[in-house]
Amino acid sequence: MNVKDIWILYTMELRCALRERAIVVYSILLPIFLYPVMLWVMFTAMTFIQGVTEGFTSRVALVGEPPEGHGALVDSLDATAGVELRRGVGEEEAVRLIQRGELDAVASFEDPEAAGQALAANFRILVLYDGSDGRSRMARDRLEEVVAGYRSHWMDQEAVARGVDEEARVLFLLAREDTSTKEDLGAMLLAMMISLFLIIMVAVGCFYPAVDTTAGERERSTWETLMTTSASRASVVTAKYLYVATMGVAAGLLNVAAIFLSMGAILAPIMGDAGEISFRIPPLAIPVMMAGAVGLALLLSAGMMILASFARTFKDGQAMIQPVYVVAVLIPLFLGQQTDRTLTPEIALIPIANVAMMIRDAIGGVFLWPLILQTLLVNLVLVALCLWLARFILGFEDVLLGSFDGSFWRFAKARLGPRRAGKEPA
Amino acid sequence: MTTIQATVEVQDLRKSFFDESRGEVRAVDGVSFSCRPGEVFGLLGANGAGKTTTLRVLSTVLRPTGGTASVMGHDVLAQPEAVRKNLGFYSASTALYPRLTGRETLEFFARINSYPPERVAGRVEALIDRFGIREYAGARVEKLSTGMKQKVSIARTIAHDPPVLIFDEPTVGLDVLNALEMAKMIRELGGEGKTILYSSHIMSEVEKLCDRIGIIHRGQLLALGTLESLREATGQHYLEDIFIHYVTRTEGSEGVGIGAMGELQEASPAGERPRGAR
Repeated sequence: MNVKDIWILYTMELRCALRERAIVVYSILLPIFLYPVMLWVMFTAMTFIQGVTEGFTSRVALVGEPPEGHGALVDSLDATAGVELRRGVGEEEAVRLIQRGELDAVASFEDPEAAGQALAANFRILVLYDGSDGRSRMARDRLEEVVAGYRSHWMDQEAVARGVDEEARVLFLLAREDTSTKEDLGAMLLAMMISLFLIIMVAVGCFYPAVDTTAGERERSTWETLMTTSASRASVVTAKYLYVATMGVAAGLLNVAAIFLSMGAILAPIMGDAGEISFRIPPLAIPVMMAGAVGLALLLSAGMMILASFARTFKDGQAMIQPVYVVAVLIPLFLGQQTDRTLTPEIALIPIANVAMMIRDAIGGVFLWPLILQTLLVNLVLVALCLWLARFILGFEDVLLGSFDGSFWRFAKARLGPRRAGKEPA
Repeated sequence: MTTIQATVEVQDLRKSFFDESRGEVRAVDGVSFSCRPGEVFGLLGANGAGKTTTLRVLSTVLRPTGGTASVMGHDVLAQPEAVRKNLGFYSASTALYPRLTGRETLEFFARINSYPPERVAGRVEALIDRFGIREYAGARVEKLSTGMKQKVSIARTIAHDPPVLIFDEPTVGLDVLNALEMAKMIRELGGEGKTILYSSHIMSEVEKLCDRIGIIHRGQLLALGTLESLREATGQHYLEDIFIHYVTRTEGSEGVGIGAMGELQEASPAGERPRGAR
């Protein structure tokens, strides 16, 4: 292996990659612009929908009459902005109107005795609404808010009339206080998003270069051109491997930067009008994230290149990697997203999941160093295993020449079975 | 008296493959020849005769199953990198990187084949002038026409100034004018003292270009010599007739013919091993 040759090949691969539209889009532009655009579109849409929904008038039918002395409740409903009361509609008819979308909710005053209430003087308001319709749910909320306000006001009046002072009436109060800082809230959101998307983006960043530099090279008929240069096979494979890993790391870290900046620039102003949230990453989390991204990129590059090395066309290469990508990356990734726990020795043994959880912990300010070390070691061992496997497979010259119709199984059957003709020393 | 040392030495070269349906296939079966500097050596054979496999072993893309082969004294198994450093390989399956420009292509191949770094820039400019590609040297290869690509491709084959050049069926897919241009360039390179191994199934090309011709069939070299010596040995004038003479002698006279493009048309059962004299 020659470092000079590796450098020449590596820079050539990078130069070609940066001129390939698909690679630039998936490994550079997507990680940078996907999340700012996605977050902006998502929150703009949410704000728009919220505004539109709040502008709706809730059409509420009143069925029956409130008991004597509670006429003010109907007056309150009548005076509520955004509520339009309809009278003279029967309950059954009202339900039909809700189902047809011509009415949003029904407030039905039920006869206390008929409703089987223990206290005959009390009354019940049955609110009928369509839970599958947002506008109907909003009408329900508006109704409940008015009724709750009326009840509280009525109870205050009754208490005063009966000579009960407020201190005696309100025995205790329940209060709650969020002890998390705005930085904690920001870290929680960042940890959740970055640990998920960093890994997905490292995988996406490796995907196209891995296929392009193996199957793509065969499809373009440049593979044999490269094989006849004086660079050693080891130099060629190492340069390609480093190039794919570089693209993966670049995609992952660009993505982290984009998420971080877009959360601060787009999400914080929307979510934190009252300064409730702040997006910051502990400085120590940055080297942990970088180590995780590099380890992961080395592992995914090796795995993807091994699979794609059997393929004869770009399409074959994609088809070979995609199912494995889903199983090997996405499932462990979601395992690593369990928010109720930190990295454990067991999870540190599961590839991908361990890195996801390690990064999540680090962003949240949790640094379990022995487990971080275990995670990185597990990754390194797997990388070494993949490289050994790659060396073994590339020892078969017909793999180099693209035999086996791009199928790993045909290769396994022909070459790893009892008959192993064609296996030459590497 | 001075002896001219062989630049390419092939001794009893063998290469077998395992095929799922056919079992062991002997693609090259005991081929021996050697080449001298400045010589254009032609390997003539039908499709599947073993020409490409022989040349791929020589270029170290494939490893021989038996026998030896060396280029400029370097063994293909023991010193593959040294062999490739002394070799330029051109074939229909050695394409150019579409996203590099012509100039970048030449620079890359000169550097990766260990051409002295301080002389790379001068060499690239000299090749650009020699092949008349200055006008489009800055354009990406993917934008070039077939003829332009062919020139850049030959230039990249000799970018590191190797003493031995292999042209494996170089005119496949080229029109008449480009094929003639290719022949002209090969002749020039031979005139500069480079050893050229040229494989083809097109008789006229081999007849015009090659100083010596090896007729290869079913992995075996049936005959080897200058066109004149082959004529004398067979009593035939045209290379096509000479080729038929050797092939039919191997296969038996019945059931073998030659197609318009030099492809063997045979009636013998597929996969039957050739028998008879070499």
